[in-house]
Amino acid sequence: MATPPAPSLKIAILSFAHTHAASYVRQLAARDDVELLTSDPDGQFATDAGPRGADFAAAHGVAYVDTYAEAFSWKPDAVIICSENSRHTDLIMRSAEAGAHILCEKPLATNEADAKAAIAAVDAAGVNLMVAYPVRFSPAYRELKSLVSSGALGEVISVVGTNNGWLPTRRAWFTDPEFAGGGALVDHVVHCADLLDHLLGSSVRRVHAVSNRILHAARKPDVETGGLVTMTYENGVIATIDCSWSQPETAPNWGGLTLAVTGTKGSVRINPFATHLGGFDVNGAAWIPYGVDLDSLMLEEFISSMVDGRVPLPDGDGGLRTLQIVKAAQESVATGQPVHC
Amino acid sequence: MTQLRVGLVGAGGITRVHVPAWLALGAHITVYSVEGAEELARRHGLSVADSMEELLASCDIVDICTPTTTHRDLAVAAAQAGKDVVCEKPLGRSVAEGLEIKEAVSRAGTQLYPGHVVRYFPAYMAAKEAIDQGRLGALAVLRFYRGGAGPKSDWFYDESVSGGIIADQMIHDLDQARWLAGEVTSVYAVQNAVRSPETPAEAHPRRVSAHVTLTHKSGAISHIQGVWGPPTMPFRTSFHVAGDAGALSHDSGADASLDKDLVLDATESYLPPPDLLESPFLTEIRDFANARLGRSESRVTLEDGVMAVGLADAALESVATGMVVPFSEASIHPAERV
Repeated sequence: MATPPAPSLKIAILSFAHTHAASYVRQLAARDDVELLTSDPDGQFATDAGPRGADFAAAHGVAYVDTYAEAFSWKPDAVIICSENSRHTDLIMRSAEAGAHILCEKPLATNEADAKAAIAAVDAAGVNLMVAYPVRFSPAYRELKSLVSSGALGEVISVVGTNNGWLPTRRAWFTDPEFAGGGALVDHVVHCADLLDHLLGSSVRRVHAVSNRILHAARKPDVETGGLVTMTYENGVIATIDCSWSQPETAPNWGGLTLAVTGTKGSVRINPFATHLGGFDVNGAAWIPYGVDLDSLMLEEFISSMVDGRVPLPDGDGGLRTLQIVKAAQESVATGQPVHC
Repeated sequence: MTQLRVGLVGAGGITRVHVPAWLALGAHITVYSVEGAEELARRHGLSVADSMEELLASCDIVDICTPTTTHRDLAVAAAQAGKDVVCEKPLGRSVAEGLEIKEAVSRAGTQLYPGHVVRYFPAYMAAKEAIDQGRLGALAVLRFYRGGAGPKSDWFYDESVSGGIIADQMIHDLDQARWLAGEVTSVYAVQNAVRSPETPAEAHPRRVSAHVTLTHKSGAISHIQGVWGPPTMPFRTSFHVAGDAGALSHDSGADASLDKDLVLDATESYLPPPDLLESPFLTEIRDFANARLGRSESRVTLEDGVMAVGLADAALESVATGMVVPFSEASIHPAERV
């Protein structure tokens, strides 16, 4: 006897602006407990080579509607927002109004007022807001967290995080200050900042940042392409994040994320994207990743939280705290001095 | 050729690598130290001097391997006695001391070589060469890490004596950042020192880390992390240098040229583990010895030593004030500002 199919969750992916949309589409299309609909009305205005909109959906073999209104009238249980950063808030408000749980790409917003308005809207609507920080779900990070929680590392003293990657060229908006809210400081501080938020359980007291536009200077970027952000936490921990788009275009892989945590009893370094086969193929140096897919683990948390009726993590408040670090970093760059939080 | 006569001041940890280097160059060493001179001399077959005067009378070049606060007086005395000097880093406890040394050396017409030995570590030399060849394009973002078990002697942890981890340990990478990415225009630093459970209540906190961020004249930015960890922490250094045409990195902990798995007593030294290659201290001291004879320019100059102390001073000021500290060559040499 076949078991009856699990109750189907209706999930709508709103926008294909973020490159992660492709991963979410693939993961969700492969699940038999999810019914998927997509919409990307702004795709037609994008200057990228594409594909966007209906072409993108057709390429992935998923259902598509031309407008967000049609997507909301489908009455999704949940949405995944993959729009340009500056368009997150509007879509969060509309999704909350439609009573849908929300998984939003990071960063939550491009300014604090928007982030707070988004949180207020989801609270009023009684829906969940999760922010897409997939590295939280990596087994390496989970082990680090347990080593800190168990006291094996002693008292944490000092951390260096790196989130270096290729310049995101497949989507032009990543380097457009209006849509992205900034450059490398916006794109690549928040992942490490979120891990530290969770790992340390302490708030940030002071932020200092420097940045430059030397990497990819030939493209005359309107945003910073390199940056170093140093945070001092209430509990005394000092931490620096290198958020630079410094992975050379000639490298065989996109980049990665590392966290080196030093405590009174030693140190632990994690590199969740390190698992790979190295070598050479017809294109030269090869990098073939293997291991767990972090997006898949994150989507599982988002979906199971709905099934279980609990609040998924990382939540909107965490999204706001990490955004506040980015804003302080931008202010520090502008003033040339640290910013007190 | 007459034998090079070295006057070694101090008999502490770093002499364990200086002495073999001098001996490899065929030098005769006389050691003067407030403690440990007899034992060091016995182990390596050195002569012992009972006073600084006796030491100065017995040597051509003085090698200062003492705690930081004594560097200025010893270097000035050596210069006034007409001796060339090798001085362990940091050159002095402050820029003022560094400048006093520089003036004494210049007045005496002698030479002084500050021991920024990392410039002689092959991986760092290779990075410098690649950068100078333009293989990375314009440098943008540099990161340096240096960490391991904290030193054993308490004076290292007393900032009033040593300048702490920034002036004693991270000065290596402050010098590296300046060597690789050029002059510095601003300095920001934070430090966190924590008392470990086994540290005696009267001693200074012994788990220490600091972060220093430098902005270079070129626009490049550098980050340096230093760690003095628990006695079990292996010594390790790493760097990552990214430019607009490429990126290079090195991690001493990832050197795969020899991988041992043997039952051995753990070494307790805070010094770098022995390398399969020539000791960088020998490479350094040979460079100094050759420069002294006018055969070549030394890779590190007295001015480099002064600037490194200046960067450490600025970082310590930033830690104390919580502010970004502007930095320039002119701020180090006020007399030359005019």
